[in-house]
Amino acid sequence: MPELPIWQFDVLLLILVVLFAVVALSIRNLMGAAVVFGAYSFMMCLIWAGMGAVDVAFTEAAVGAGVSTVFVVSTLYNTGATMQRRTGGLTFKLFIGVVVTVAGAFLLSALPDFPKWGAPDSPVNATVAPYYILNTFEDAHVPNIVTSVLADYRGFDTLLETTVVFIACIAIYSIMRVDKAKLETDEPAIVAAPRYDPSDSLIVRQASRFMVPFMQLFALYVIAHGHYSPGGGFQGGVILGASLILLAISFDLKFLLRQWSEKTLMLLVAVGVFLYAAVGLTCMFMGGDYLDYGFLDSILPGEKDMARSHGILLVEIGVGITVMFSMIAIHINLASNGRFDRGL
Amino acid sequence: MNTFITTAGIALIGLMLLVLIRAIKGPTVIDRLVAINVIGTKSIVMLLFAGILFGQLEMFVDIALGYGLLNYIVSIAASRYYQHRKSLEPEHSPGGSPVS
Amino acid sequence: MDLLGYILISTGLVFFLGTTIGLLRFPDFYTRMHAAGKGDTLSTVVILIGCICLNATQEDGLGLLLALKILLIINFILIGSPTATHAMMDAGNKAGAVPWRKDSE
Repeated sequence: MPELPIWQFDVLLLILVVLFAVVALSIRNLMGAAVVFGAYSFMMCLIWAGMGAVDVAFTEAAVGAGVSTVFVVSTLYNTGATMQRRTGGLTFKLFIGVVVTVAGAFLLSALPDFPKWGAPDSPVNATVAPYYILNTFEDAHVPNIVTSVLADYRGFDTLLETTVVFIACIAIYSIMRVDKAKLETDEPAIVAAPRYDPSDSLIVRQASRFMVPFMQLFALYVIAHGHYSPGGGFQGGVILGASLILLAISFDLKFLLRQWSEKTLMLLVAVGVFLYAAVGLTCMFMGGDYLDYGFLDSILPGEKDMARSHGILLVEIGVGITVMFSMIAIHINLASNGRFDRGL
Repeated sequence: MNTFITTAGIALIGLMLLVLIRAIKGPTVIDRLVAINVIGTKSIVMLLFAGILFGQLEMFVDIALGYGLLNYIVSIAASRYYQHRKSLEPEHSPGGSPVS
Repeated sequence: MDLLGYILISTGLVFFLGTTIGLLRFPDFYTRMHAAGKGDTLSTVVILIGCICLNATQEDGLGLLLALKILLIINFILIGSPTATHAMMDAGNKAGAVPWRKDSE
């Protein structure tokens, strides 16, 4: 591996990131600001890829530059907000400028005390990281150290992260879902044959129809191959959700609701978290601690010491299911303003 | 090979800066959309260059493939917004929009 | 094989330079879409083929797998980027952007 970091790229990309952020904040049209903010997110992904943190870069690309921008566009479509309002006068802006400069200088004053990048005697690299690097392959037979730390050594944190995604989905659902519309939206209206607006584009529909199966296959590969390459449950789940959001955008929202009804969606959001927690409980029944996959080897196929690797795979599948259906449910709620009939 | 790819990467970032000028200047908002689409496509190429410089291209190809698919979704979503809204000028909603 | 890769990447960068100049200097939204849609797709595809040629000589089948994956990226860019261009041009048309005429300047 050549010398890290690639300082030429890093300097230029940092300049670009600051430029993107300034542009995104100063555009007064909200749609333009949203799209530029998505591109800012991707510049951050490039910086992380330049540092060698590929899992983080993958997650940032999938979530920040992909699905998150679509959520903001859906929200803008529903609320009808189009322009930023001019705030305050000159004294207000000066006051804000002074506050931000003081706070920023305070934070930057800690900069000389950081250890050097990648130094072997910094607290992280001296205590915890060598243990993971040396023992991952013998303990869990998983070459991707990030996946093994995420799902095995720090499995509790990932369980609670998945629960947080689940809670976010439920919160948006309970805030936005309009019950009166649920009584008015009748089933025949959804299952009736589509009548597409003739001015709607056939080209976009056919191209999306071509791309969706490949996206889903690629996302399944990312989930299953997370042991060996950058990826894992979260990134694969986001790409799966994005493939169905693509269907909802290029066809009609009812097209998606015909395939996945509302009840199925909300049930499956919960199934993923339940799967994760159930794996932990099964380990307890087998005689070990909660989420200690080593005790699962009597019910899982394969050799005795591959049990942890298979346990990680089960848990990643649970994370993927929850994230996929959360993304879809959040998009449907935001795009149709809770009415579940038509939207972006 | 490393110096060639590094030079190509710096040239690519420089050209992306020029495209950013169109995103700043663009009189309509779809000009900005077009510029961001171009920047997104070129960032896929930047990821592969970073992979070649690291010597481990197989790690970075997956990320590039994933982002290529998601770039498409953002462009389609943003243009659907304008197809439904049917107006490029931002409307001044009554009472002033409180969103900032 | 390496030399072919270098030539292709340089050609792709020249095409992208043309795209950028077109994006900056054309007078109207529709003409800029021509420059962006065509030039961007073509330059990306050429650069990616150059990347295939640079890496095709790795040992034990890894070069073939990488070539297949980069061919997949090329496939999606060839289908997705022109469709996105079409969708944006359609959106601009429906939203009422007026084409530039030479005599209106």
